[in-house]
Amino acid sequence: MSFQDLESGRGRSTRKFNGGRQDSTQAVASGIFQINTGVSTFQRLVNTLGTPKDTPELREKLHKTRLHIGQLVKDTSAKLKEASETDHQSGVNPSKKIADAKLARDFQAVLKEFQKAQQTAAERETTYTPFVPQSALPSSYTAGEVDKVPEQRAQLQESKRQELVLLDNEIAFNEAVIEEREQGIQEIHQQIGEVNEIFKDLAVLVNDQGVMIDDIGTHIDNSRAATSQGKSQLVQAAKTQKSNSSLTCLLLVIFGIVLLIVIIVLAA
Amino acid sequence: MAILYALVARGTVVLSEFTATSTNASTIAKQILEKVPGDNDSNVSYSQDRYVFHVKRTDGLTVLCMAEETAGRRIPFAFLEDIHQRFVRTYGRAVHTALAYAMNEEFSRVLSQQIDYYSNDPNADRINRIKGEMNQVRGVMIENIDKVLDRGERLELLVDKTANMQGNTFRFRKQARRFRSNVWWRNCKLTVLLILLLLVIIYIAVAFLCHGPTLPSCI
Repeated sequence: MSFQDLESGRGRSTRKFNGGRQDSTQAVASGIFQINTGVSTFQRLVNTLGTPKDTPELREKLHKTRLHIGQLVKDTSAKLKEASETDHQSGVNPSKKIADAKLARDFQAVLKEFQKAQQTAAERETTYTPFVPQSALPSSYTAGEVDKVPEQRAQLQESKRQELVLLDNEIAFNEAVIEEREQGIQEIHQQIGEVNEIFKDLAVLVNDQGVMIDDIGTHIDNSRAATSQGKSQLVQAAKTQKSNSSLTCLLLVIFGIVLLIVIIVLAA
Repeated sequence: MAILYALVARGTVVLSEFTATSTNASTIAKQILEKVPGDNDSNVSYSQDRYVFHVKRTDGLTVLCMAEETAGRRIPFAFLEDIHQRFVRTYGRAVHTALAYAMNEEFSRVLSQQIDYYSNDPNADRINRIKGEMNQVRGVMIENIDKVLDRGERLELLVDKTANMQGNTFRFRKQARRFRSNVWWRNCKLTVLLILLLLVIIYIAVAFLCHGPTLPSCI
């Protein structure tokens, strides 16, 4: 019912925009959806055949569901034909053709499923007989009650009193079992609370250690930066030292030449 | 061992029984069979010293067991229900016409197995199994807490070591900068010395060519 309302609402809104082209495609899609739902219900009823729940009412429901699905199949088939006729016209959107082809394949698939379910239903309907509840029993009880005698009435009251005593015992027993079960559940609840506390403590510890790890990361980053700077300083020092060596060598050479000239001059 | 003794009876006729320990349970059980009131279905428990006798009667068949007081009621009555179903499934309508101890040879083994199952197996009771699992979870979580604390201690050590490393690298950078400065100054001094030496040589040469220290010919 609600789906039909939704369908009519959607159809009305769609018609304003597309002028009725998408309406047939949407109708086919919703029809296939309804057939799928009906086939699922039908299969569930078929699975019940042959079980203690198999009753004449179930058979009647099965029959009605089969008729309903048949009607849906007829309607959807007509809509699909209409949509495919529209696709043959010129100027139709190619995506609509693809969508209609997909809907046709879905329709074929759901039809096969329905036929399979129908065969299963036919086999089981012939194999099993519906379970008829014993309707003769209540009438005999009723006949028995009509012949009630004061003695039987007294016995009935005594029986009812004993029944009440037994019910009280049963209630006490069940209450004891329930009490014990509740106690066990309370213990489980308490243990779960303890585990929850442990998880919270663990979260606190892990958060603190996260801070420590951040500190470690900071220290390592600072160390890396300082080491890089120190390395660059040392590289420059190495270059300067190399230059120093060259200058020292040059000085020694010049000093040597000067000494040589002085000695030659003095010797002469 | 939670359940110590079990029997199956029709009225006061014992059909099968099993005792896990040597006690006087059999005698007391037979007295209880005679004492249980009425003929309708019932569930009752009788206390005797540290033990409790649980009795379940269904469809004319009575199942009885003796359990420790600490076993509660849920497990013994689940045991009774199980035994009743197995007995009825195995012997069917023969229950109502059997002689005393007719099924004892076969069924006492079943009683023994089920007594062991309901006494020792945690799966016999869902609540107990969940309790056991929660205990395991709690143990694992406590172990996790210990491991995380140990990890915390190591992380503290690591923080200290990385702080030391940071200090050392800062010192290294400072000394590297100082070393570079020293080397640069030495380079500067050598350059200046070289320039002075060259100037002196040029002066001497020019003085020699100009015939005097005051350069009279050139000026």
